[in-house]
Amino acid sequence: MEKAINRQRVLLQHLQPSSSASSLDGSPLISASVCAAGDSAAYHRNSSFGDDVVIVAAYRTAICKSKRGGFKDTYPEELLAAVLKALLDKTNLDPKEVGDIVVGSVLAPGAQRATECRMAAFYAGFPETVPIRTVNRQCSSGLQAVADVASAIKAGFYNIGIGAGLESMTANAMAWEGSINPKLSQFKQAQDCLLPMGITSENVAHRYGVNRQEQDQAAVESHRKAAAATAAGKFKEEIIPVTTKIVDPKTGEEKQVTISVDDGIRPETSLSTLGKLKPVFKKDGTTTAGNSSQVSDGAGAVLLMRRDVAMQKGFPILGVFRSFAAVGVDPAVMGIGPAAAIPAAVKSAGLQIEDIDLFEINEAFASQYVYCCKKLELDPAKVNVNGGAIALGHPLGATGARCVSTLLNEMKRRGKDCRFGIISMCIGSGMGAAAVFERGDVVDELTNARRIQSQNLLSRDAM
Amino acid sequence: MPVFKAPFSGYSVRFSPFHEGRLLVATSQNFGILGNGRVHVLDLLPSPAAPGAPAIAEVAAFDTADGVYDCCWSESHDSLAVSGVADGSLKLWDVSLPSSANPVRSFREHSREAHAVDWNPVRRDSFLSASWDDSLKLWTLDRPASLRTFREHSYCVYAVSWSPRHGDVFASASGDRTARLWDVREPTSTLVLPAHEHEILSCDWNKYDECCLATASVDKLIRVWDIRSPRAPLANLAGHGYAVRRIRFSPHRESILLSCSYDMTVCMWDYRSEDALIARYDHHTEFAVGIDMSVLVEGLIASTGWDELVYVWQHGTDPRAMP
Repeated sequence: MEKAINRQRVLLQHLQPSSSASSLDGSPLISASVCAAGDSAAYHRNSSFGDDVVIVAAYRTAICKSKRGGFKDTYPEELLAAVLKALLDKTNLDPKEVGDIVVGSVLAPGAQRATECRMAAFYAGFPETVPIRTVNRQCSSGLQAVADVASAIKAGFYNIGIGAGLESMTANAMAWEGSINPKLSQFKQAQDCLLPMGITSENVAHRYGVNRQEQDQAAVESHRKAAAATAAGKFKEEIIPVTTKIVDPKTGEEKQVTISVDDGIRPETSLSTLGKLKPVFKKDGTTTAGNSSQVSDGAGAVLLMRRDVAMQKGFPILGVFRSFAAVGVDPAVMGIGPAAAIPAAVKSAGLQIEDIDLFEINEAFASQYVYCCKKLELDPAKVNVNGGAIALGHPLGATGARCVSTLLNEMKRRGKDCRFGIISMCIGSGMGAAAVFERGDVVDELTNARRIQSQNLLSRDAM
Repeated sequence: MPVFKAPFSGYSVRFSPFHEGRLLVATSQNFGILGNGRVHVLDLLPSPAAPGAPAIAEVAAFDTADGVYDCCWSESHDSLAVSGVADGSLKLWDVSLPSSANPVRSFREHSREAHAVDWNPVRRDSFLSASWDDSLKLWTLDRPASLRTFREHSYCVYAVSWSPRHGDVFASASGDRTARLWDVREPTSTLVLPAHEHEILSCDWNKYDECCLATASVDKLIRVWDIRSPRAPLANLAGHGYAVRRIRFSPHRESILLSCSYDMTVCMWDYRSEDALIARYDHHTEFAVGIDMSVLVEGLIASTGWDELVYVWQHGTDPRAMP
């Protein structure tokens, strides 16, 4: 596209002698049409459009440690049903108006998970007429689900949709089924797709020089910020309490509980405690259990619709979905994904990185998180202000949807100075995804009405 | 006279130096901004088989992945032609071979759009290309890489023209507002001619006077120069309403030249006479960007433009009149 714009520019100059040359005749008769907006052009936009895709509500369950946490004895679909039901309860939306539900899910077997999701929709009170499907883009599946719904709304397939994410790492562990194709040995990058994620983290740390100290520091920060946010009650707006059962592993006794707090946060985490941990993946490595994301269970859901539909129904507009980009990177250092995806998403939103006021970058590993922040020269005060996956946990398919609720609620708290936010994560097998959101109340309805400068002679009747 | 409708916007047209009535046409999709390209080889039929039947037959067509901005016939082989493609490559076509065997060569060195090509009419063994990467390159068919790169212009080079008398001399026209003369035996250009105060889009040598060169510019003017006294032009030809895109000296009359312009017209000029403008043809409905005059048939003119049409007509007749 850049090429086409350049060509247009060169040809346009043939029609419009450049002003630097001594002018033969002053007034240029022809000018370029507005098709190649400059940097940060979107920052100057303040009109709103009915076909904008807006987020009306975003909720999540608490994120709990897998196998040991609050959801260890909960069926995965219960988590999804809880967040779907919350969307309906909190907005009073008529469930039959929903055009589609897309659920990001990673580890569970595809067909079984798709069926579980369909069942979850029934548990949540959706009628049989509302369809549901799953999507798997590994760790960004939840964000991909939101983006899929946004694109379908933009394309006009339906006006209201739900993007969600679900992962129970208790129920489904990371595993490889079947044998491995021997052809793999001839393709280095295909081979690297099979590297354990921890090894890719070691690769990032080694290749880009991220030391143990920096990684542990990032982990401490993550826990500190998450603990502070929990203490301040910041997550209360986004977490849906889930009433479920829990089985005592010793006595086998079943107990009913309501889970409404993330249970992976360790406020007491310090550099000295983390420093004692041994590297897990490599003898002389730097990636430890303490500076990696936690293995967790959880779900999240985001309600999206056209702006004009939301206005008509009187829903609050939490945010506007502005752009999405997924970009491939070397599988051996898959963690660098956000460093590639964020600039792409920012560019396609018509912005520059400096225009972004808040970042939610998934902390798969401290190594890659630290690298991405350094590479993009991000202000630490704007990134993961309420902690990240190292403290909260990373339920793979749910993380993207979780981030939407965390980001938009924080943007709401910060007020109008916080206009654009971005969510990004790295993706196993070497990719990155990112999406740009704009807060909902920046636009001004009145600026849509444009003053007519002169009679445009469209119709004689108008005169 | 015959008209050919191409699927894409016309960019260049050239008469074959070997076959009377054979034409080469370069075209680009979406006005050359974005999309594919195609090179057409056309034959004028001596007399239409039936009234109303097309008077032009397509002999061959070759597709390219990007727009084709210019083309020219080989002066050494009657079936060879070269084209400049917007992706910077130069493609060599053999009309006698099926399209599956084409292009017979693809030369890839220019980093930006290849905007002009010209075959050496004296030595006949080499050709030149001009590109938006500010350089010109000299090529022969027997080498995979260019013989030499001429890098002095500071902006897009839009046109290149070999001297019809000296096998080593050529002229180039650039958006840096200069035309330059070159001798391939010399390390640098031999003359820098700040010919216009705006971008120069085309240049051509007089076929009878080895010192006479014409330039055409965005300033709507055509200027004719005696390169021995480059301080002032021999003639200023004004009359086009927009940038003059291409000029060609007549192969038959010393002082006649043909031009086409973004004002959509094709004009014929006699630069020696008081009333220089001899004829104005306004048959195109979009920018007229390609013209040529037949060497083999005196007065036969071809033109093409962004309206996707190729016209061939005798000077003095209406290009749109059907036989």
